[in-house]
Amino acid sequence: MLNREEWLPLARKLDWDYSYVREDEVFPELISGHPWLPHSEWKEWEESFKTSYREYVDNQYEKDMAVYAVRDAVGRLENIQKLAAPWINSLKVHAAALPLAEFTGVIGSLRGARFGRDSAWRTMSTFGALDEYRHTQIPLLLFHQLVRWDAQFDWAHKFYHTNNWFAVASRHFFDELTLGQNAIEFAIGTNFVLETGFTNLQFVGLASLARESSDHMFERMVTSIQTDEARHAQIGHPVLTVLMKHDPDYVQYLLDKWFWRSWRLFSILTGLSTDYLTALDQRPYSFKEFMEEWIIDQFLRTLDEFGLKKPWYWDIVEDELDIYHHMIYASAYTYRATLWFDFVIPSPAERKWLRQKYPKYWDDMDAVWEQVIERWRTTGPGAANELAVHATAMPAFCALCQLPLSAGTPRKNTANVLVREGRKYIFCSQPCRWIFLREPERYANHKDLVKRVLAGEAPAQLPNLLTEYFRLTPETWGKDVYNGAYDWLAAQKASTT
Amino acid sequence: MSIPLYGFLEGDTLGVLVLAEEGETVQELARRLQDAASIRVARNDEIDFVYNGEAIEPGLTVAQAGLQALDRFDVTGKR
Repeated sequence: MLNREEWLPLARKLDWDYSYVREDEVFPELISGHPWLPHSEWKEWEESFKTSYREYVDNQYEKDMAVYAVRDAVGRLENIQKLAAPWINSLKVHAAALPLAEFTGVIGSLRGARFGRDSAWRTMSTFGALDEYRHTQIPLLLFHQLVRWDAQFDWAHKFYHTNNWFAVASRHFFDELTLGQNAIEFAIGTNFVLETGFTNLQFVGLASLARESSDHMFERMVTSIQTDEARHAQIGHPVLTVLMKHDPDYVQYLLDKWFWRSWRLFSILTGLSTDYLTALDQRPYSFKEFMEEWIIDQFLRTLDEFGLKKPWYWDIVEDELDIYHHMIYASAYTYRATLWFDFVIPSPAERKWLRQKYPKYWDDMDAVWEQVIERWRTTGPGAANELAVHATAMPAFCALCQLPLSAGTPRKNTANVLVREGRKYIFCSQPCRWIFLREPERYANHKDLVKRVLAGEAPAQLPNLLTEYFRLTPETWGKDVYNGAYDWLAAQKASTT
Repeated sequence: MSIPLYGFLEGDTLGVLVLAEEGETVQELARRLQDAASIRVARNDEIDFVYNGEAIEPGLTVAQAGLQALDRFDVTGKR
């Protein structure tokens, strides 16, 4: 019987020369990806995490048992109900955004499992697909028990099946990144940029936030997922190594495109959780500090290692670290009924903390919160006043990322209009415009929400948009967690009367 | 006929869709944008209506100012 070191190369390297078909028929460029190279260029493909199927199954079984044990010990409904209300809403964000996005990763990984250009790559992608299936099932399982307590958790299943504006934006991202992608771009966009650059480390950060918030079930879940991500993210590196020899400009383009697109979505998911939905005394760091320490430094080191340049828009990313997620959160608070989770207003102590962490633009953001608070002062607290402290105008969305036009600063919004072949498009930022113009045939026919309303495909009136198009109900649409009844707001009011 | 426009109010955190009438003045349109964003931005009576980088005479109508569907306009504090 062969030992492990003898058996692994045999099991992983199973390529052969074709006799009855051409290689480019077995691996068409359309689905295997660009540049098309003969297998001789891929045969040295080596992953750093080598594993056999048996080892894989044994490890995953152990990890699943650990998740179940934590669920049984501290993941019951009564444990979740004890968590801080804002944090529970951070859970709802991730419960919706995560599981079915992971399922699209199953499809993308399976494309690598069939059309990856070396058998070791295909083997790793098979494990990657099994990982992603696990990442779909675990959160669906863990969050399902919460639906009977709070119907907003039903969005774990429902989110991607709606035309909610954030679901439209998330689908626009994942449809391209994972569902419809060729094996090479999937390896660069998903395995290298998203997983190495964002999710792997983001899950480390999320686990830390969950621990500080005493949410040990979520901590265990994301830690368990992160260990899979760390393994299958390694697919990207050897693919990148081969591509850099043949078409480094294309690699740089894919990197620039997918870093920006990933940044857009993850700055919202992580930024909101870190700086707003985690209790102040449980925040281990600000979102900006987390990004600088865990994502930016590591990513730049990796680029350097491969001889890649920083994306051309790097100064925009650095500037957005101070402001973008704040613009989104304040906007979303005033349109909270368009979402499936609840929001909080930052307290005076939290605003002081935010000013300290984000001195560059906080004055402008603070003025916005002061205005929102003034509205609650005028109406008084209470569920009946929720919609009186809510915006009614139709928000506008970027033609590329499909997110609200919230880039730039309150003083200077960077939205810009493009006229192309007689049609107008608006973009939140120059990088979104640049990505659109690099592949206009891919993006030009997608209608953002405003264009759907103008075309009569979506209701123009906000209440109808919420219920008929976003699939929300008065029970599930987002509200202020406290319906405006904040102790500090009551105290301020008392002191002025 | 209504003209859909993207409106951006200085001090705000997002752009919104505003349906303008050809015959209304840009001053009236600016006030409507301020109302739409009033939950986030305090009212300022000293404003400019900016289109294609230039402040527009407040008494001009939307048609006279040349605003076309899906254009961007800005409402800023008086410069």
